[in-house]
Amino acid sequence: MLEIKNLTKTYNPGTVTELKLFDGLDLTVPDGQFISIVGSNGSGKTSLLNIICGSIPLDGGDVLVDGKSIRKQKDFQRYASIGRVYQNPALGTCPNLTMLENLSLADNKGKRFGLSQGVNRKRVDFYRSELAGLGLGLEDKLDIKMGALSGGQRQAVALLMATLTPLKFLILDEHTAALDPKTAETIMVLTGKVVKEKGLTAMMVTHNLRYALEYGDRLLMLDRGKIVVDRAGEEKTRMTTEEILQVFGQLSMQ
Amino acid sequence: MKNLKKLLCGALSLSMILALAACGSGSTTEESGDAQQASGDVPVIGICQYGQHGSLDNCREGFLQGLEQAGLVEGTDYTIDYQNASFDDNMAIQIAQAFSAEDAALMVGIATPAATACYAAAEDKDIPVIFTAITDPVGAKLDSGNITGTSDVLPVEGQLKLIRALQPDAETIGIIYTTSESNSIYSVGVYEELAADYGFTIEAIGVTAQSEVTQAVDTLLAKNVDCLSNLTDNNVVGVLGSILEKTNEAGIPVYGSEIEQVKLGCVAGAGLDYVQLGIQTGLMAAQVLTGEKTCQDLPYEIIENYALYVNSTALAELGLTLPDDLAETAEEVGA
Amino acid sequence: MLDLIVSTLTQGFIYALLSFGVYITYSVLDFPDLSVDGTFPLGAAVTAVLLLKGMNPWLTLVCAALAGAVAGLCTGLIHVKLGVRDLLAGIITMTALSSVNLLIAGSNLTVERAVDTIFTSAPVMAVLGGLTLSGRKLVVSLVLVVVVKLVLDLYFRTKSGLLLRAVGDNGTLVTTLAQNKGNMKILGVVLANALVALCGGVLCQEQRSYSAVMGIGQVVFGLATVIIGVSLIRFFVGSRAAQGMRKIPLLRFLASPKGTTAVLLGSVLYKFCIQIAINAGLPANMLKFITAVLFLLVLVIAGRRGEEIIHA
Repeated sequence: MLEIKNLTKTYNPGTVTELKLFDGLDLTVPDGQFISIVGSNGSGKTSLLNIICGSIPLDGGDVLVDGKSIRKQKDFQRYASIGRVYQNPALGTCPNLTMLENLSLADNKGKRFGLSQGVNRKRVDFYRSELAGLGLGLEDKLDIKMGALSGGQRQAVALLMATLTPLKFLILDEHTAALDPKTAETIMVLTGKVVKEKGLTAMMVTHNLRYALEYGDRLLMLDRGKIVVDRAGEEKTRMTTEEILQVFGQLSMQ
Repeated sequence: MKNLKKLLCGALSLSMILALAACGSGSTTEESGDAQQASGDVPVIGICQYGQHGSLDNCREGFLQGLEQAGLVEGTDYTIDYQNASFDDNMAIQIAQAFSAEDAALMVGIATPAATACYAAAEDKDIPVIFTAITDPVGAKLDSGNITGTSDVLPVEGQLKLIRALQPDAETIGIIYTTSESNSIYSVGVYEELAADYGFTIEAIGVTAQSEVTQAVDTLLAKNVDCLSNLTDNNVVGVLGSILEKTNEAGIPVYGSEIEQVKLGCVAGAGLDYVQLGIQTGLMAAQVLTGEKTCQDLPYEIIENYALYVNSTALAELGLTLPDDLAETAEEVGA
Repeated sequence: MLDLIVSTLTQGFIYALLSFGVYITYSVLDFPDLSVDGTFPLGAAVTAVLLLKGMNPWLTLVCAALAGAVAGLCTGLIHVKLGVRDLLAGIITMTALSSVNLLIAGSNLTVERAVDTIFTSAPVMAVLGGLTLSGRKLVVSLVLVVVVKLVLDLYFRTKSGLLLRAVGDNGTLVTTLAQNKGNMKILGVVLANALVALCGGVLCQEQRSYSAVMGIGQVVFGLATVIIGVSLIRFFVGSRAAQGMRKIPLLRFLASPKGTTAVLLGSVLYKFCIQIAINAGLPANMLKFITAVLFLLVLVIAGRRGEEIIHA
């Protein structure tokens, strides 16, 4: 379970560009929940993810995992139990390493990176079957450099890499935003599949309202650092795109 | 953009071909050199000069004169393969190796890095090496083995006499030197050793770069030195103009160590004549080349004679007068 | 002619050790490390002083590499722990080293011919005693560079090596793999500077001399060899010849050379180019200019691709 308690964060304090983003935000994410987060630009969606992952420091409040504070942990320590897929497909894989080397790296997450053989040939069949599961015909391209693949293919591999080892949370940071609609659809289907199969706790930031409604069992809408809509279960299932757009409209009127 | 790349690609391949062609021609001349060598014709003297620099150029000029003075004739008694390393240690290494590869009869290294590179390349075939323009051959450990030459140690004693003659009441001499220049460090040592004999104390300041030199001048002036004396330190000589600006304002004379420095505005200087040094080196080389003597027979030499240079304009500005006995021997180089 | 090829190859092999170091920082880690200009003479200074003290010449090289590793550790710590920019961290170490080098060995040091080096020590003489000194220098430096290259190649295939390559390729990914990329950077810079100092040590033994200013321009040399080597290999990999070779099982390994091979080739080529220029009698004062123009041409043709790593 992930808990965010009384979170405060101010950007550029003491300057003319001072921006008080979070002022006492509370959020609890139970295990196994898949949350979609929507909100206009600057509403704090990505900042929230970055604070959870430790990429940016928080000013006040706390972040707890299973009741224990992770505030003092550095970003790379937190990622021991977090998987993350970024908006930019290039951030999820190493372009100059082959797909096999990339998968081997991801496969070793949580273990020591010592002087043993970097690529474990015995795992190749496992990688092939996982890649075949993506349905993109990547299973025969293990020796190709990641940089030679398309953005969609890279994002699919990035998703696979992020979820290859056991993890507590999957963080999806607008991970379909940079893809064409057809590829985005493929990646979303894959995301839904992997979250379901592995029973992951996931937080997905998206601008695509349809995806936000279609996927996940809870929907949050953020506006200027505050949660303005929070629907789960039955309530969420009944929501429509029009309803969300209406809230958006009201917010921008204010 | 693609066309530009194609053009550049072409230009690059062309230059590569040219380089290869040059290599080909280089090797042919070399082969013909080998052929001559084989028929016992003309021995090659490889001269590796560290870089282009007035004093070093004079050394080489003198060296060639020295060979002629020894009665050797270029073309029949020897041929010269002259290379300049443009102050690059790595290039000096490769130049020296090229000399060894063409079986040079003698290698000449002008300045320390060139000499050590020659000595390393000469080891395999035990080719004799002659050096010049090295201040401290003992410190550089080039004083034994199949190597000899001439040292350009400064005529410090002459300089001290000159300063005493011009400034009878002077007590402290300021010197600025570069801490990574072994020649300068050695010269400062000589100054410190001899200064007391002439009633001076030395105030020496080490710098690591040219940009620190003018600061060092300020420090010396604040310590009330009576004059500054220059070494042949390139970092210091390179900014002589701005040094003189400061010292002239303070009314402190600067003594030079080469003719060029006195021309630029130092009041006077006891300096080496690098052409003379080169001639002396050439005479030694001739003995080794003809087989009359070996390097082991010839200990390294220093130049006994030094020249006095004066700049009357600079002297007059500071209200100094040259004693008559010195005026007779000194060479006037001022504007 | 043969003599010249032998001595030029020797220089190329020895300097390839430095190029390997620059390859690790610049190409693999994407870390422009300027400490090299200081660690190169550091290796030579340590070697020269210890040789003159009578230490075994091979052991002096180990000490030189260790000294370089410590210098690299300083650069790494300054960058990672104190948050100083990579370029500046290197400059700080380089500046400090110029004093350290003077303290260790003064401004110049010559190792007399009576002192044994790795090229004249008893074990080498026992095996290669029949060769001339130049011959021994060639064989010893070749063996040294090949051993270092193979060890590096092996390392790059380990988990740690894979992670090091990932740091330069995509630091963000390394963090999401729950690894401290700062520590990996430090490791890379340590390794690189150990190699550079090793190169300084070997050159000191080959030249029997050390000078405080011998490091000037070594970073530029290293970068040039890395970029030239990598660009040429890239050109080759894309060529028809390489495509043909890939179809023949025995030649397949030749068709996709490693980065270290490229760098070794770059170093040898560079030394040959200089030697050709010297032999062709090009005016020495123009030599640097010509080098700069050639370098620029290679860079423009290779484009940014020259900066990428090739590790098939």
